[in-house]
Amino acid sequence: MTDRRRVNGPVGSTHPPVFENEPEQELGASKCLRTRAPTVTRKMYLKTGVTPSASGSAYLEIETSGKGSVSGLKLSCTVHGPRSLPRSTPFSPHIILSTHVKYAPFATKQRRGYLRDPTERDLGSHLETALRGAIIADRWPKSGVDIIISIVEGDQDREASKSQGGEAWDMMNALSGCITVASAALTDAGIDCVDTVAGGVAALVRDEGDDTTPRIVIDPIPSEHEQILAACCVAYLPDRDEITNLWFKGDLPASDMELYSQLVEKGIQASRNSNEVIVSSLRETVG
Amino acid sequence: MASTTQHALLSPAELAYLHASLSLTPPIRPDGRSATQFRPLAAETGILPGTNGSARICFADGTEAIVGVKAEVERTRRGDGGREDDGGELGGGGGGGGGLGSRLEGDFVEGLEGDFVEGLEGTVFLGAMLAEALLASGEFAKKLWINRRFHWKLYLDILLISPPLSYPLPLLSLTTHLALLATRLPRLKSEGDEDPFFDDDWAAAPYLYTRTKDGKATSRPPVSLLVMAVGNNIIFDPSKEELAVADVALAVSVGEETTKTDEEVDESSSSLGRNLRLLSVRTIDPPSRLTPPGVPNATNSAYGAAATTQKQPEARAAESEAVEGVWKAPRGGAKALVMAALVQKSLVRGGVADEVLDALDAVDLVA
Amino acid sequence: MPITITAPKPVRQLYEDQDDVMSDSDSDSQSSKDGGNNNKYKNMINMIKAESGAAATTTTRSSTKPTSHGEIVTPGEVITDDPQWMRGHGTFVAPATSAIISSVAGTISRTNKLLSVRPLRARYTPEVGDLIVGRIVEVQAKRWRVDVGATQLASLPLSAINLPGGILRKRTETDELQIRTFFAEGDLLVAEVQQLFADGGAVLHTRSLKYGKLRNGVFVAVSGMGGGGGVVRSRRQVWTMEAANGGGQIDVALGVNGFVWISKHVETPPDLLEKTAGITNIEESVSATMYSSQNDRIEAETMREIARIRGVVTALVENGLRVDEDMVMRGYHEAVEMAILSSAGPDDIYLGGERGQQLAAALTAI
Repeated sequence: MTDRRRVNGPVGSTHPPVFENEPEQELGASKCLRTRAPTVTRKMYLKTGVTPSASGSAYLEIETSGKGSVSGLKLSCTVHGPRSLPRSTPFSPHIILSTHVKYAPFATKQRRGYLRDPTERDLGSHLETALRGAIIADRWPKSGVDIIISIVEGDQDREASKSQGGEAWDMMNALSGCITVASAALTDAGIDCVDTVAGGVAALVRDEGDDTTPRIVIDPIPSEHEQILAACCVAYLPDRDEITNLWFKGDLPASDMELYSQLVEKGIQASRNSNEVIVSSLRETVG
Repeated sequence: MASTTQHALLSPAELAYLHASLSLTPPIRPDGRSATQFRPLAAETGILPGTNGSARICFADGTEAIVGVKAEVERTRRGDGGREDDGGELGGGGGGGGGLGSRLEGDFVEGLEGDFVEGLEGTVFLGAMLAEALLASGEFAKKLWINRRFHWKLYLDILLISPPLSYPLPLLSLTTHLALLATRLPRLKSEGDEDPFFDDDWAAAPYLYTRTKDGKATSRPPVSLLVMAVGNNIIFDPSKEELAVADVALAVSVGEETTKTDEEVDESSSSLGRNLRLLSVRTIDPPSRLTPPGVPNATNSAYGAAATTQKQPEARAAESEAVEGVWKAPRGGAKALVMAALVQKSLVRGGVADEVLDALDAVDLVA
Repeated sequence: MPITITAPKPVRQLYEDQDDVMSDSDSDSQSSKDGGNNNKYKNMINMIKAESGAAATTTTRSSTKPTSHGEIVTPGEVITDDPQWMRGHGTFVAPATSAIISSVAGTISRTNKLLSVRPLRARYTPEVGDLIVGRIVEVQAKRWRVDVGATQLASLPLSAINLPGGILRKRTETDELQIRTFFAEGDLLVAEVQQLFADGGAVLHTRSLKYGKLRNGVFVAVSGMGGGGGVVRSRRQVWTMEAANGGGQIDVALGVNGFVWISKHVETPPDLLEKTAGITNIEESVSATMYSSQNDRIEAETMREIARIRGVVTALVENGLRVDEDMVMRGYHEAVEMAILSSAGPDDIYLGGERGQQLAAALTAI
């Protein structure tokens, strides 16, 4: 299926430029290692009401990791609705939530198409799960709301010559950002929620040259670590102390449930941090 | 159509009844199963001679899935050096991944008419879930390595033959598991980095997942279990009705660590239980949040002898406290402890994952 | 053992021996003389008749004419060219001839001079007077649309229900405005087919105290199952039974359309009776609870027995047996016996897989 309304890029795949590292860089600290403490999240900027034409909107920017060539995560979210459903749809006692997550074609190292690919659809369904637990759906019968998120810039190191399979882990960071920004936009649109949901990521990493014991860090940047063993993204309601969406991925021994619990616990901690940002940003807007 | 296939349309009275009966200790499930019991199923492998591996599973209610595995030789993209990491990725996008890319494409065809787009989001989710578990450990990608220039590309095509009468994850995961176990790749005759050529003798083709002489697999693909919580109960393999009253539902993918020791150690370790790995956990959006709420008798204008038609109902029904016997769709999420308990219950030694793998072991494998 | 995986079995032999599954069900119609030559098909035909439901009401087969009753025909097959017959459902007349040709695969049934073919598998075809269990799928301005498992949605007009507060009260505009308080989407109800449209759509009514919204129980749909199972039209579709193991009284409603409702038997709550003591009409107080969606308190024992009955119904269908009062009652007693003998004791209510086959075998062995 091609999009006929726009001038498309070249047919077929294009190869992204791959830069060979200088040998001396290879020897030295070519990688930007994590300088933050394991429990510190990156700084983020959140502003609501950036798109006046939408019912609610928010913009989220997460700071870059010190290195010039690495862009941070930039997300823009708009909420349209609640509005009445088209006549053809059957009666619904609840609000119908639809979520769309789309990377801008230039957001990642590998150019993306205009149509949503499976990764983006997957992000959309995760986001829907996370938000549906937070909103009070029966306050708005027979209505629908669309939540549209554009990832303007993905958080990827353009200079990294080798891929460490980092794209898969980047998805977790992107989802966490999506949940946070969508939560702020929902509040901006005045849709009833039981609590302010926010996303957070924690990962079990093994560092380069480190001793081999893996450690748990929150808000990980895949390029900063030698290997990521497991990661989890949680959407958390701080006042109710409840999780609306949990996504864990990795390879953990089943006998060590303690490690898994710790990972989730750290994810919650990261989510609490994002929640504070949402709350203070909303206060600023109101006050 | 979508509403009847995607979510079970149930009346508030039914939902309240189901929720009450599943919250009892022990829970009473509508089909009489115990909390950890799966639906009985019939399975066979090697049903499609044109594939590298295939399997079919069907439930007593007629739900049926077929998986066919096809393998193709693909040239590994140059320019990434010989780095030995897993470059497994799912469908779409470019192959900028690792040195030995195993591409896995989940393609789902549903037996649904009309609402393909509706089903699409769900199938993407299911496909991503199955692929994620398969690629979680680097082991799988290594199996597809031919030489530094070529690798196998594996297509897993999952066909859900009947309309899904329940959330299809366990069915699809078990069928995929069996199909992969039965998958064989032609034996490589060439050496080194030259263009590969293969042995024509299919009988000599080795299994993708190696086996011992008596036909038991030494390593196996992961399985995904569907588990949900209602009240204080943890329930496995829920039917559609049961899922409609779930407080929280999780898909837990479990793999088994390959033991690199010789066979006798293998034998002794089997008595100790399996060496399970937790590969992935995903929250399934419980359909219970979209169910219609019941109306307590106290506020029901059509209830009681005193019900008068002249009483104008309020514009918006007042929020009511939880009343026993009245269904109310759950709000919010689940406690972290509850979620941990769900995972724990599936993984614990001698637990459900263990027994499911044991039962899958017993399936006679024909390639 | 939480999971049982079996190798697939070959298709069940429907006509292997005389004492197969259905031999006890329709033995009266088997009295004809052609038992010897085509006894291969006999049980199969009987099964088909049981499935199509009305087998019991049609005439028993006695004819040895080419149009013998109960014979299997396929689409395009000429049933008869004798002009004395009239064509019924499932047949057509070829132009310029008098031959009656079958248009579906099924069994021939004759009612006097009317020839019709009952399809082997078909969706429910409503008939006036059928007691059905249905689910509301759509609410319109003055009527509901009800899924009854037929080709068309049935319709239930607002004027065909008992309105609360007086059994013969006049319908008002307020009733129309609050139509959703009576039945909303998803609600289950038991009703009767009042009349039929030409397109096969049914019009329902609930103007009796027997009918109305369903609560306090579980639903199971058994329609659309081939191989001879399913609910058959019989004398009684709704009955109250005494459950074992202290389960109390349980109501079972077998809709002719194959939808089944099993629930706790509830008497009208005494507080409501008191309130309406002034009104001598007891019917009014009964109808007061008609539109409630609040369940009463149900004991665990009752829930367990309800689940057991549901298991019996599912096992009957999965094993190709007919579902009616007699079979459900016998199946239930058998299931209770089986549970007592099983290792888990009388609380074991699981009747799936092999247990269901065991139950079916026990029922047909008698």
